[in-house]
Amino acid sequence: MMTLYLFSIFNGLVMGQAIFLVASGLTLAFGIMKLFNFAHGAFFMFGAYVAHYVTGQEAASLPIFIGAAFVAALVVGAMGVVSDLAVFRRLAGVPTEYTLIAAFSIMLLASGGAELIFGQGIHAIYPPEALGGMIQLGIPVSVYSLFIIGAGVVTFFLLEVGLNRLWFGKIIQAVARDPWMADISGLRVQRIKLISVAISFALAGLAGGLLVANQSLSLDLGHSYLLLAFCAVIVGGLGSIKGAFFASILFGLADSLNYILLPTMPGVAVYALLIALVLIKPEGFYPELSQ
Amino acid sequence: MKRLIAWGLVGLFVIFATAPFTVHAGLVFIAGIAMTEIIFALSWNMLFSYAGLASFGHAAFFGVGAYTAAVFLKYDYGLHFMLVIALGTFLGGVASFIVAIIVLRRASGIQLAILTLALSQLVVTLIGYSTYLGRDEGIPSIERPVMEFGLFQIDMSNQIQGYYFIFFMSLLALVLMWLLLHGYVGRRMKAVAIDPERAAFVGVDVWRVRVLAFTIGGAFAAFAGCLVVPWAQIVTPDLVMWLHSAQPMLATLLGGAGYFWGPIVGVLVLSAVNYATRTFAGLSEVLVGGILLIVVLMAPQGIMGFLRQLVERGPADQPDPEGERA
Repeated sequence: MMTLYLFSIFNGLVMGQAIFLVASGLTLAFGIMKLFNFAHGAFFMFGAYVAHYVTGQEAASLPIFIGAAFVAALVVGAMGVVSDLAVFRRLAGVPTEYTLIAAFSIMLLASGGAELIFGQGIHAIYPPEALGGMIQLGIPVSVYSLFIIGAGVVTFFLLEVGLNRLWFGKIIQAVARDPWMADISGLRVQRIKLISVAISFALAGLAGGLLVANQSLSLDLGHSYLLLAFCAVIVGGLGSIKGAFFASILFGLADSLNYILLPTMPGVAVYALLIALVLIKPEGFYPELSQ
Repeated sequence: MKRLIAWGLVGLFVIFATAPFTVHAGLVFIAGIAMTEIIFALSWNMLFSYAGLASFGHAAFFGVGAYTAAVFLKYDYGLHFMLVIALGTFLGGVASFIVAIIVLRRASGIQLAILTLALSQLVVTLIGYSTYLGRDEGIPSIERPVMEFGLFQIDMSNQIQGYYFIFFMSLLALVLMWLLLHGYVGRRMKAVAIDPERAAFVGVDVWRVRVLAFTIGGAFAAFAGCLVVPWAQIVTPDLVMWLHSAQPMLATLLGGAGYFWGPIVGVLVLSAVNYATRTFAGLSEVLVGGILLIVVLMAPQGIMGFLRQLVERGPADQPDPEGERA
């Protein structure tokens, strides 16, 4: 019984980090652009396809696997630059509904484009050999799931340190809080926004590349993570990396414990938790950047 | 512009009214689906343009109606189909009333969007548990009902009779919504949407108006859901999914938010694009996405807004006599 719970908690942590990898870019885009990016899931999916395209069904080695994830990040980041230049920049100042719809249409473009380019097939992807095995940590766990946890935690620390301690992060925050004032003090607001959007999209691509072996690759890949990532971003406090991190873990655990505690009703805990948390604390755990 | 709208409406009415005799059966089927989607989109636009509430889970209420109708038709409880529609609409209204009193008190803007989205996905998840509701596969091969009205009967399994039944029911819903929104209730909703604080100041109960709008919107969505079932003869959880919730939004913004008739234009354009690209996988998404992007960037007021600009910029010998907005 105990091991069952341990398994479940471990799976929840893995799931949580997987959600966070997707949610990090999402919350960044919100914090800076005030943009709720529906297209994020589609770009995540796109990144996974790009990584698959680079490595084939099984990456030859760990560096190639990670390298492919970074290639995916670059490709998707470039798409982010294009989206910002062509769409989001022009929509600054219009009601948020329009940016939402714009993001939605970009999502349609990205997923339709993926369907045209990569086809409708479903691929099974395996992690590279270095991540393929199992190790004993009290319970047997796969190396790949440890890799996901590691990747999530590393991403979290890099973003936290980058945003709060480095000069560039502070500039981004300044632009996010008050673009007008930032402009007055001589910052190049448009360019910084462009870079942040590129980072946000690149995170989606990176997440796609890293998580590609976590489940089968299909065109629906985006949807399954996107909703959970949305939940994490809302509950964490819009725009807060820290909040998204903890909320992701919470949702991962909820979803995974759901299978033990309520085995007849899979998938219900996440929504119940979300509804309860939003009703109790609509502004989220860390409402720092959402104003 | 008013004259243009009037002529457009007459034209649409004629096209839809004569569709069974002018086009082939496949298109008639699509026209039937499009009419229910129009009602669905109008009910969302009522929330969005008139009450200022952007719901991202509107398909849940559509689903309530659709599943009610499907259950009654599939398991043959012998209730008159008109009563089934009434019941489905009522249940949709009740469901959205409950959602409204829970959600609207705490959330607005993006929180509201995500909460409604999550609630509709919760409904999808719950449907997945129930064998009675067909789990993930939905309820297939639903019989089309035969309705006795004393003096006459309507047999929906007859393509033409079924089509006209949907046509007149949609028309009824359309007229009801128009009357509602252009009267007392609609003006109060609009006041709340434009400036809730001032509306409260002049004595409008903002909270009550919002709940009322949400309830009515949900009821009309459920009504559309009831209508689509005997026509499509199948319900699946896809009808409740968030992608279906997005349809009325796309239609509204494409056609023109802020215009009562906007969603109709939007649904027609979307249906046409889907029909034209039905054999190319992925292409229809790219096209719809592209069209939406262009509309959002170039004509944020949608097709209706674009038309109005054209008309108002047009030749000076046709000034709008009242200067009134449509």
